[in-house]
Amino acid sequence: MPSGIALAIWILGTAAGVCFVVCSLIRGSFLRYFFLNLYVILYMCADLIREAVLRFYALDSPQYMYAYYYTDCLLTIALFVAVISLASHVFAELNLTRYVRLVAVFLLLGTAGFTYAVVAQSTDLLATRFALELSQNLYFVGLVLTYLLWGAVLKLHETRTRLVQMILSLGLYFSAYAGSYALVNVAPKYETVHYIGPILGCFLPISWALTIMRHSEEARLTPARLVAVPR
Amino acid sequence: MSRTLGALVLALGILVGAMELKTLLATHTNSVVIMANGVAPVPKWPPPSN
Repeated sequence: MPSGIALAIWILGTAAGVCFVVCSLIRGSFLRYFFLNLYVILYMCADLIREAVLRFYALDSPQYMYAYYYTDCLLTIALFVAVISLASHVFAELNLTRYVRLVAVFLLLGTAGFTYAVVAQSTDLLATRFALELSQNLYFVGLVLTYLLWGAVLKLHETRTRLVQMILSLGLYFSAYAGSYALVNVAPKYETVHYIGPILGCFLPISWALTIMRHSEEARLTPARLVAVPR
Repeated sequence: MSRTLGALVLALGILVGAMELKTLLATHTNSVVIMANGVAPVPKWPPPSN
């Protein structure tokens, strides 16, 4: 990847991340959306680590590969926790927060157990393979969870604008990754296709930052604007 | 108790659904990297170990 484009994407993503965290602090939403902020902070730290490693080692070097995939696993776990925290907000009025956390613990342990069972046959690099597989498996669990959360938002007629937009952003983010994956497989030869991943990486901080900046905690959406209900 | 059991069943259902989705996608494609958090360039997926 040309360093100019990579640098521009990195600056855009980092600026959006800083903007989201600062806006959360200024508007008093940092603790309310703590796990989202934590994900964005970890995301910026991970990118700093990756950039630092990339300065000394090549893109295809094992050092960069380990740094990238270990931080990716950490970020996927943080994103999973962020999805669960949004689910807790949605189900808080039904007093189901405790059960949402229980589902999250079962899911995390189940995914880790399943991943270990799959990877256990490997004789070497068990820890590395485990981190990679856990990251991938948690991505799919997060994808399914986000779609379920979308369904719950529609079913429960959730009207909190910030919450709805953050969940919609997550759904779009996961869906866009699935789309980009298909595109990479269809046209792996084209260099431009490989920019899609890093560009998509900016999407969550940008959309969350816009949500925090444009809407207050009291802002409400009318349910009719979420879905067109046939009458 | 029944709600706890419900939470366990829901978690299992989500896990099974997610893993089926992954298997479905993995059998139709030749690349493995799907998710990549952050804006750094994505390195190649390491070869599977024995």
